[in-house]
Parts: sequence; C-alpha cells; structure tokens
Amino acid sequence: MFTTGSKFLIGASVMALIATLVYGIGQGGVLGTVGLTSATVALIGLATLNALLRDSNVFSDDEAPVETSSAAQFSPPSSVWPLGFAFGSVVIAVGLISYQPIVVIGLVALVVTGGEWAVQAWAERASGNVEHNAAVRSRLSNPLEYPVGGAVAIGIIVFSFSRVMLWLSKTNTTIAFSVLAAVVLAIGFAIAYRPKMGAGAVGGVMAVGAVAVVAAGAITGLDGERDIPEFETTSIWQEEAILHPTEYAEGAEEGKHPAGLICESPEEFPEADERASETVASKSGSYQVFLTEDETLAFDVPGPIEEGPAGMVIPRSNPTNVIFRNESDEHRRLSIDFGTETLEVEGEDTEVRHQICTTLIEPGGAQLLTVEADLPTFSADGIVNPNGPGGEEGDGFWLFVPGVDTATLELIVP
Amino acid sequence: MRDSETGTSLNHVNLPNRRARTLKFAALATAGLFVAGCATNAPQDTTDPAGTNAQQIYDLSWPIFAIAGLVGVIVFGVLAFVIVRDRDRGQPIPEQTHGKPKLEIALTILPALILIGVAIPTVGVIMDLDDTSDTECVVNVTGQQWWWEFDYPVQDGCGGITEPIVTSGQMVIPADTNVLIRGTSRDVIHSFWIPRLNGKRDMVPGRVHNLRMQANEPGIYAGQCAEFCGLSHANMRMEVVALDDGDFETWKANQLEDYESPTSEAALRGETSFVTNCSRCHQIDGITDADGVPIVSRPDQQVYSGAAPNLTNLMTRNTFAGASWDLINQDYRDEVWEASPEEFGDLYLAGVTDDVFNEVDLREWLRNSPTKKPMYTDPLELEATDGLVRGMPYLALSEDQIDDLLAYLLERK
Ligand code: HEC
Ligand SMILES: [Cu+2]
Repeated sequence: MFTTGSKFLIGASVMALIATLVYGIGQGGVLGTVGLTSATVALIGLATLNALLRDSNVFSDDEAPVETSSAAQFSPPSSVWPLGFAFGSVVIAVGLISYQPIVVIGLVALVVTGGEWAVQAWAERASGNVEHNAAVRSRLSNPLEYPVGGAVAIGIIVFSFSRVMLWLSKTNTTIAFSVLAAVVLAIGFAIAYRPKMGAGAVGGVMAVGAVAVVAAGAITGLDGERDIPEFETTSIWQEEAILHPTEYAEGAEEGKHPAGLICESPEEFPEADERASETVASKSGSYQVFLTEDETLAFDVPGPIEEGPAGMVIPRSNPTNVIFRNESDEHRRLSIDFGTETLEVEGEDTEVRHQICTTLIEPGGAQLLTVEADLPTFSADGIVNPNGPGGEEGDGFWLFVPGVDTATLELIVP
Repeated sequence: MRDSETGTSLNHVNLPNRRARTLKFAALATAGLFVAGCATNAPQDTTDPAGTNAQQIYDLSWPIFAIAGLVGVIVFGVLAFVIVRDRDRGQPIPEQTHGKPKLEIALTILPALILIGVAIPTVGVIMDLDDTSDTECVVNVTGQQWWWEFDYPVQDGCGGITEPIVTSGQMVIPADTNVLIRGTSRDVIHSFWIPRLNGKRDMVPGRVHNLRMQANEPGIYAGQCAEFCGLSHANMRMEVVALDDGDFETWKANQLEDYESPTSEAALRGETSFVTNCSRCHQIDGITDADGVPIVSRPDQQVYSGAAPNLTNLMTRNTFAGASWDLINQDYRDEVWEASPEEFGDLYLAGVTDDVFNEVDLREWLRNSPTKKPMYTDPLELEATDGLVRGMPYLALSEDQIDDLLAYLLERK
C-alpha cells in the first residue's frame, strides 16, 4: 500500500524525472541536468524511505481500526489540487533553469491550485458529510471561481477572435464576422422562440461553437498575422522625399511611387493614400476648407462672420484643426505650403519647402488636418510662393490643391 | 477666570446667560460675514452687469435665488418648528404615520412644478447666450500660462479689419457691439471670465469655444482666468476695454501703424538690446535687421506654450504680464477706471506717456520676472519640457540695459 506522503513524493519524482529528460535532451545543458538529476535522485530516495516507513504512521498497517476508528468514518474524496500543486512546482523549477517566462505559468498554477487545495482542506473539516463539505467549499470558492473563470474564458475567446481577424484580410474579416454575428443572432432567436429546447442541445451548440472558435484561433494564430505594412502617412512621404532625395528618386524610377513631393502631387501614393478619407464628424469648433464643385477653395471658420476674402486666419503657434471637404468630382488632397525652411539634407544645409497635406480624399470625403504655423505670414513677405496663385500677390503661405490651379487660398498667421 | 460681561465666574455661568452669549456671537459672525461682502472696489461683480449677456444672467438669477431662498426658508422653518415642538421632554414618541398618498403626490408634484418653472427661463437664457447669429465682430482669444492673447482676424466685422491685429492682456472691443470670442488654449485648460459682461467659458486646447461679449458703454471691465492652470493661475488676469466706434477705429489704426524707429540714444541702444535679449521670444512687428530683413521671433523654440506676448504696441495697453501689473501709475489708473463713458476713450487712448508711466513694476519685471510672477523658468527644472520655459525667464540684464530697454519700450505705441 502506498501511503499519502509517499504518493506525493512519487509524483514529484516522476515529474522531476520527466523534467530531467526533457531538459537534458532539449537543452543539452550540463549544469541544469546535473541539478535536475540530483533532485530526481533525492526525491526517489525520499519516496522510497517514506514508503518503507509508511509516513511514520504505526497504525497504517494495522487492519483492525480501519472500520471502527472515528478516523475511518469519513474519507474525503480524492482531489486533483495536490497534483496540480506539484505540477506547478516542477514547472517553476523547469522554468527557472530553461525559459524564464514559463515560471509565470508555474506561479499561476501554484497559486491557483494551492488556494483551491487550502480551501478544500478547510472545507473537508467542516463535517463528516461529503455533500455538506462540498457546499461549504462552493460557498467560499464560487464567488471567485465563476468571475475569474468567466473572465479567462472570455479572454480566450476574444484572443481567438483576434487571431482569426488578423489572419483574414481586412475585407474578409468584415464579411466573416458579420456572418458570424448574424448566426449568433439567429441562434439566439431560435433559443428564445423554442423555450422548450433541451438544455443539453443548447449546451451542445455552445460547446461546439466554443471549440470551433478556440480551434480556429489556435490554427490561425500559429499561421501568423496577415501582412500589415508599416502605416505610411503623407508626412512620412514628404520627409522621405526631402531627407533622402537620392533613394526617393530611385524608388520613383522603379515605379514604387510617383515622383515629386506628395504634397504637390495629385497622384496616389502607396499606403498613405489607400486609406483615403477618415471621415470626421463636423464639429462646430473646427475650421473647414472646401474644394468646391467649380474647383476653388472656400473656407468656413467657427463663428458666423463672413471673413474678408483675403484668406483664412489661424492663430500662430497653436495647433488648429482644419477639416478638408472634397466636394469636387476627383480624388484630391489639400496641401499647405509654409514657404521654405533650412534642413540638413545628406550632410548639407538645404532650403526645402515646408509643406503638409491630407491624403487623397475621394469625392464627398473629408479629412482632418492639424495645422500649426510657428512663423507669422510677414516672415514670408515679398517671397513668392510657387504654390500660390503666382504673381506678386502670391507671397506668404498658401493652401492649395495639387492638380487644380484654380484652387488656392491664403493662410494668414498674425 | 471671570466673564467680563456678567461678572460671574465661568464655572458657574447659568444656562440662559451662556445661550445669550452664543447668540450674540452668532449674530456678530453673520454680520461680519455680511459686511465682508461689501467693497467699494469690486470690479469683478456679477451683480453689477454692464452688458446684455451678463444682464440676462443677472435677471435670471434673482428670481431663481428668490424661489430657492423661499423654499429653503420654508424647509428649514418646518424643520426648526418640528425640532422645537417635539424636542425630548420625556414625552412618548409622537404618532408615526406612513402612506398618505395625497400628501405624497402633492409633495412630488409641487417640487416638479417649481423645477419646471425654473427650467423654462433657464433653458431660454442658455440658448440665448449660445446664439451667435447676431455677431458683429470676431476676436480670437487664446489662453496660455499665464496670460491671454487676443487676435483680430481679417473680417468685415468690427468695422472692417484688413490686417490681423495681435495684442494681449487687454481685449479692446467696440462698445454696444455683439462681439464673438473664439477661444482656445495653447497648453492647459483655462477659463475666460469677465463677470460684468458674461459667464465663464473654459478654453480647451485643440478646441474652439464661442463666447458672446458685449458692453453697453465705453469702460474697462476686469476678469481673471477661472480654471486652475498652474503656478501663476492667480496672476492670469485680463481686462475688456470697450471704446465707442470712433475711438475703436483710432485704436485699430494705431495698432496697424508702421514700425517707428527709436528716436533717442537710449532707445536706440534699447532696440539693439531687444534684438539680442528679447526678440527670440517677443515679436515686434516691423523691426528689421541691418539688411532690412524682418526679425521673426521663435517663441515655439523657447516657451512651452509656443507663444510670448507681442510687444509691438505694448504701451497702448495699461497693464502687462497677464494684466497683473500696471504700466500706468496709480493716480492715472484711478482716473481711467473711474472715468465716465464719455471721457473714458480719450483717457485710454492716450496710452502710457512719460508722466503717467509706472516704471517701477516694469523695471522689476525686466530685472527678474520669475520673482515678480511665479513661473517655471529655472533651467534646472525644465527636463519635463525639454528645456522650454513656462513664463519669462530671468535674463541677467544690467541696470543700464534695463534703462535702455525701458526707453525703447516706452516708445512702443
Ligand atoms: C524665453 C522667452 C522670453 C524672453 C527671452 C523674454 N521674454 Fe518677455 N515674456 C515672455 C513670456 C512667456 C511672457 C508672458 C509672461 C506672463 O505674463 O505670464 C513675457 C512677458 C513680457 C512682458 C509683458 C507683456 C504683456 O503684454 O503682458 C514684457 C513687457 C516683456 N516680457 C518684456 C521682455 C523684454 C524687454 C525682454 C528682453 C529683455 C523679454 N521680455 C525677454 C517670454 C520671454
Ligand atoms: Cu489660466
């Protein structure tokens, strides 16, 4: 007969042995293997000793009191927690010598199984009645077990969903999950209209669904995410063109993207322009610039005053949100040219144009552009802006639409 | 120990006496509190509206205060009555009643009716104060630690503005005109509040908030930032100056006048000193370098908010540094503030002249601004802002430099 104590030690020995083999073969490490082997040998020794001494319990081989002694009246049901606890300990040991993050799993296992074990041991002292003891245990543990268990389950499902979503393409994700949502809704209706449907059937459907989701998540997760290219913005393109002109020109020649500055180009640039219109809510507090149907720029600023035709005034050194609305029939972007600035380009101080712009916006679309002008307009007095309407009047800062010569609007910064 | 009034020993004070004393104290304290509310010089007084918007708020608040006061008096009166009548004298507990539907319904309907009665005019006023369709003039107001900037965009309103005007501390508006403030902030949330002209409005970075402003008569109206905004929140004041139409035209024309080069030796040295020490933060429009190229300030590279007051027409205002100190002496200040609406315009437009110039405070400011107004400018403590200051730093100027700068600044009008 194996005594209680020796069972624990035998279990630990077996786990240690497995750990030794796994680690020894997997890692080929010397020091760790030596440690684990020593632990295994020590545990086997302890287990043997314990089995021989029968937990130092003189009564354990005395048959007589087994039926009559009060201790014999109630034997608690077998429990998985000690096993889990031992498992946790071994995982921690393995983690410590092989791969650190595993330690966390071991710790979690240790805390959870240790806690459960403690609660169960406590509940089993409540009475001699197994059912009553189970109820005592539940009363203490369930309020914690259900929410935590539920959260973990939801976490697993959400994580599985996310893996599937990242595996499918953007469009397919939308389709797949619309369909899934419809199915869930249909099942919900079915259950609601057939209240007599057996609990087993409902549970079965749920279980199948859960397994399917988790399985799909596991498979797609292992296969990895779809290609998610680095999100390129108009400002990154602008920066590339200015700071790395040689590389940029090569890229253009190879046809990877149009040539020239993006803010001066009516053409579509990869990635930045693919995401076109990020539709924005019209807020009363925002400045708005319209590309009208007859291809001119009009603007509307907060407050009801029709400001003079001179141009749109924004405060200096203050990020101002400007909504661009494309009311023309073409894909267009709104650009702003703040004159020149001096930057170090490939080791040399170079005069470059300071420009910002939206992405190409589809007809009817809109996008928010945050504009901050740190210099006043008069800093560019008398310097003709190539993106303005031309002529002497064309100095200062200008809003313009690449590809539409008629669309210019002066930006005035006091 | 003897009680001076009754002459009895405190240990043996009898009850009625003690109660009388407590009552006397309470009466005195209340009176004191009441008297503390009186002040001859209280320019930020919501109960003294000077424009249609504040008037509407005031006209609404009185009746509501009266209703709320009446309800309060009744409730506390009943409570006091019950407390006194049923105070414990060893009598049995009075009859406890529960469930008198008529009374309960009445006590539900009555407050509801009162609330509805209060809500209807309140909502009306809120909507009126939100209406911007009658705007006749737009001013952009930008708050930053710890001063307000006012810029007048090009517009048909305000009698026509053809070139933007930028000023700070004092917002000049035409009197008897519906002005619309388009407010925002460059750093943290501030709140614009001129109690005699309208309620307060938070100014949130990245958003534009509208606020109506209208003053019936020419005059000067004080206010201050009403949203805690850091170290010198208390020194973030502002004033609205209302001028009649003619005077406002004069003010506008003056703001847009071309730059006048200094005339005196000292002022010329001051100009040079300004370019070296100040122009990296402060803009003076029209000032050029030796080659005639405009000198452009870069406060965005120096100051956290990205802005510093435009000093082109410093001496056309009466105050500086968040309207916290005067550029004019006390006597002249009193004259301006107490002027009748007819006299006010001339006094204000005269600006800061030699004989009314309050040199002391501006000198102290240039000598060491952070000791005058608490600001984050210690170079050792600017890590969080990448070396940018919040406020104007100590510039280690010599007294001679300050003399020259003052001479130069005094001509900026
Ligand atoms: C590092 C930037 C910086 C420099 C340099 C600087 N200032 Fe200032 N100055 C400020 C800021 C910021 C304020 C606003 C402070 C406040 O009111 O809280 C200010 C306020 C002022 C004011 C009050 C203006 C008003 O309308 O309220 C005057 C006058 C002034 N500075 C003069 C000067 C002079 C003269 C110099 C050069 C000797 C100078 N400043 C240098 C940042 C600077
Ligand atoms: Cu403030």
